[in-house]
Amino acid sequence: MVQENWKKDSYVCIIGCGRLGANLGNMLSVQGKDVLIMDKDKNSFRRLSSHFGGLVIEGDGTDLDKLKEVKIQNASSVIIVTNDDNINIMIAQIARDLFGVKQVIARLYDPEREQVYHQLGINTICPVILSVKEIVGLLE
Amino acid sequence: MSCNSFCKRNSWLIRVDVGKGDNNLNKNKKCKILMVGGYNKTKIMATSLLEQKYQVTVISADYSDCLKLAQIKDITVIHGDGTKPYILDEANADTCDIAIALTNKDADNLVICQLCKKRYGVKKTAALINDPYKIDFFHQMGVDSVTCALDIMTSIIQQQVFKEDIMNIIPMIHENIKIIDMQITKSSKIASKQLRDVALPKEMIVGCILRGGDIVIPRGDTHILVGDILIMIAGQELELNTIHTLIE
Repeated sequence: MVQENWKKDSYVCIIGCGRLGANLGNMLSVQGKDVLIMDKDKNSFRRLSSHFGGLVIEGDGTDLDKLKEVKIQNASSVIIVTNDDNINIMIAQIARDLFGVKQVIARLYDPEREQVYHQLGINTICPVILSVKEIVGLLE
Repeated sequence: MSCNSFCKRNSWLIRVDVGKGDNNLNKNKKCKILMVGGYNKTKIMATSLLEQKYQVTVISADYSDCLKLAQIKDITVIHGDGTKPYILDEANADTCDIAIALTNKDADNLVICQLCKKRYGVKKTAALINDPYKIDFFHQMGVDSVTCALDIMTSIIQQQVFKEDIMNIIPMIHENIKIIDMQITKSSKIASKQLRDVALPKEMIVGCILRGGDIVIPRGDTHILVGDILIMIAGQELELNTIHTLIE
């Protein structure tokens, strides 16, 4: 694959190319990281800007063969932002425990579940909690 | 304890490990089982578990399935997404001894089992999954019993298509054991012999004989008749050819 010449410390793999995934991809790509975005729907790649210089792969992020194909084990970070919490949780654990990726970040919508998985040592981002903090901060 | 339900030829094995080696569970209080998702599987399993005096709670995301399930006597049904902690709270997951995840999404099943185990301290969790490549991963993530219907079905079909159709082999889930179900035909050389005269390989025993709907527990003086179905238990290392030589 094209990633042969990618440096190990700059390969970022993003799973899920929704609003968050695409924006993140654009930003990291502009910053000079080697970005690969995977999504099971190829239409979602239209959200990427014309400045995006990374790779796009159509595929299911829960498919172990697909993850091997994109050499996820070589990624310095894996960011999982599909729109299904449970899928994010599963892929996060696959990336961390099966492929030994050092930095795994997953977005979880449900704050209650987020607590549990935070305790399990997965880096989780919960939009609700972030927004609440931000809004409360603005009010003070 | 394992509940194996056998239907003669097209043997389909539903196996639930219920409190392995933990008989106190049954004696002191009713063992409580939580099932999440999966209408038909849940219905059959719940009915059979209720008959065995287990306490059963079912969570289903489909409202019409819930209504139908609620018609079963003594069952507790909860409508909602079983991967959400507040639904599991409502189902009193913390009082359950066993959780079984039967939804058709692997990720959901993983989350159900993990939440039950980590948040509610459920002792035993089981999941039915679709992707056979994830069986080991699920074990690694702390799910106690992982069953992949596709995997079992594929191997049964393979056995039926590629081996001679005198036998079925049911792979057990994690032990290195095979259960082989073999029909005795006229041409079998062990037909009408006494069991003690059959030179069985060391790695296997005849566990049970099905004879026209009856179950015969085999002893040395039991005669093997044409039409019998022998249920045999064998170690993984047993070569299938050894069995073939027995019957040809």
